[in-house]
Amino acid sequence: MNTRSIQFRLVTWYAGLLAGIFLLLCALLYLNLRHFLENDLRDSQLRRAQRIADTLVLHIGQTGETTFASQVKELYEPEISGRYIRITRDDGVVLYVSGAPKDGSYNPADVPALPSSSAAEFSRKIKLPGGKTLLIAALNFRLPNHAAYLVECGYLLDPVETMLDHLFLQLALGLPMAVLVAAGGGYLLVRRALHPVEQITRKAEKITQHNLSERLPLTCTGDEIERLSHSLNRMIARLDDAFQNSKRFVADASHDLRTPLTILRGELENFADDPRFEPEMRDRVGSMLEEVVHLGKIVEQLFTLSRLDAGEAQTEWTRFDLSELTKTTAEQMSLLAEDKGIAISCDVGQSMPVKGNQVRLKQVVVNLLDNAIKYTQEKGAIHLRVLAINGHAVLEVEDNGAGIPPGALPHVFERFYRVDPARSADSESAGLGLSIVKSICTAHGGEVEAQSTVGKGSRFRVKLPLFSDDNLS
Amino acid sequence: MVYSLVKESHIMRILLVEDEKKVADIIVRGLKAERYAVDVCHDGESGWEAANTYDYDLIILDLMLPGLTGTEILEKVRRKNSLVPILILTARDGMGDKIKNFETGADDYLTKPFAFAELQVRIKALLRRGPVSRSSVLRVGDLEIDRLSQNVRRAGEKIELTAKEYSLLEYLATQPGRVFSRTMIIEHVWDQSFEGLTNIVDVYVRHLRAKVDDPFPAKLLRTVRGVGYSLTDGAQT
Repeated sequence: MNTRSIQFRLVTWYAGLLAGIFLLLCALLYLNLRHFLENDLRDSQLRRAQRIADTLVLHIGQTGETTFASQVKELYEPEISGRYIRITRDDGVVLYVSGAPKDGSYNPADVPALPSSSAAEFSRKIKLPGGKTLLIAALNFRLPNHAAYLVECGYLLDPVETMLDHLFLQLALGLPMAVLVAAGGGYLLVRRALHPVEQITRKAEKITQHNLSERLPLTCTGDEIERLSHSLNRMIARLDDAFQNSKRFVADASHDLRTPLTILRGELENFADDPRFEPEMRDRVGSMLEEVVHLGKIVEQLFTLSRLDAGEAQTEWTRFDLSELTKTTAEQMSLLAEDKGIAISCDVGQSMPVKGNQVRLKQVVVNLLDNAIKYTQEKGAIHLRVLAINGHAVLEVEDNGAGIPPGALPHVFERFYRVDPARSADSESAGLGLSIVKSICTAHGGEVEAQSTVGKGSRFRVKLPLFSDDNLS
Repeated sequence: MVYSLVKESHIMRILLVEDEKKVADIIVRGLKAERYAVDVCHDGESGWEAANTYDYDLIILDLMLPGLTGTEILEKVRRKNSLVPILILTARDGMGDKIKNFETGADDYLTKPFAFAELQVRIKALLRRGPVSRSSVLRVGDLEIDRLSQNVRRAGEKIELTAKEYSLLEYLATQPGRVFSRTMIIEHVWDQSFEGLTNIVDVYVRHLRAKVDDPFPAKLLRTVRGVGYSLTDGAQT
């Protein structure tokens, strides 16, 4: 998953924030509830203590301390309800203490004496052995003309804690689920929001130099996305303009370069073949003519490139066999190789149907072979291979020549690029052959790549979509 | 250029519409040397006027003209139901242009810069005349090329040639003495995919020379530096 994508970051932020808020709310809920429940328990114990105190006041006045204990027992039946009651006089004598509760959940004997406190009311939580907690509310009071008493009422905190534990469990399970659902919803929303961007991307992807007149879809929502498509459209318009200008420039340059070249060539040809002139002079004129022809060739190749840019290779498509084309072209050029003592071996197996402009694709084979022959030393070897790889027809031209330095390799398909600038002087070509190869391959929805090791040789690999009856449409 | 003799008594009349005066001069000079009668117009209107007024055997039209364009003249001439052969001469060679002009009725198309020899060959082809031999046996000096059996003999001795070597030799022999440019040879013997690969012609000519010329004292294959190759019977240097 792409963790830097807008989609991922938005959803992560959203889910994170949501989880934070949920967590805070749950914590508040939990703590408040806990506080409330404990307070409630404490209050009820305190009220009971108060009632006991009231009874005590009444009884001690009438019947004395001894009968009081049985009164309390009778009135409150603490053993049945699991309550804890203890009444202590200020000289430390325990007047009454409730017995073990019926369910045996704790032993009253485990409850230690409370440290004396001067406060009228106070409460304590007492950890009993066995892990249980007893909440005790205590009341200090003094009878007129009598001693002071401490009435303690207690109750186990267990039910509260069980309830809080249940709540905690539910929150702990519910919270991640809620966050997950929210994140899923957020993901869908973000996707929906980014859908127009997706559309714009897909359309922009399809715009190449050949259909610069097309524009991106507008959402008409007045938001950032509409602004984005507007600015992209304006950018495409500017590109279109620049491209049209450069095409016009090439067309104009075409006319303006060719006419003087025609004149030069025509005049020089008259000299070169005129027997009235000295052979030496004719030879010099011939040398000039060679340069004029070379110049014409560069101009020609430049226009070939500009025609390819204009989409020429996308016309006159036929279905043909790349293996056959490669084989015949290699045969036609074999003499060029033989002349340098270079052996061309051809490894073309079954037929390899492709669809395209046959003249231009043949030029690909011619240019690659010519290149290989040019840069392979005498007695070298060139190996041609046509094979099918993953639905692609692949043509490989491999030589054992000088190779291309790694620094130059990424540039070999650039116009006018030369691996060895020193070679430009005596070499015939203008450094456009491989650019033409690349243009033609691109126009056919294919690609060309070069691999090379200095001193061992180079391999050029052309990949074209394999034609089959399935993709006829 | 004394070798391209006009055989017919009728002198062919050609109209050239070309606004570049220097280009026009070269063409006119060359055509006059071939004994054609040539009229030149330097703009579209006068070109159309001339084409409309006189009866020409051939019209050579530049496309980019002041006034009427070459394409417009072409359309006007064809609308007149004239069947005069028209050769388009232009610096533009966009595919679209080419197709459009052929549809309008151009007979041939030549892109600048061209070798004059190529213009001559195309004119000859359009006029269906000249020393373009149609006989089944071509003879240049003591070289004999039988077009039916594709047998080549020199001084009665049979020479074995590969298919490409034969095509090359036959092409050169169709117009002995004419200098063929490498581009013309490539287009005729190979195909346009080999454009720019002119050294292939040199290699083949060298191989051809080894078979046809080297064993014999008189050399038939002639190199004209910067221009191309020709096959002559040795009378010329």
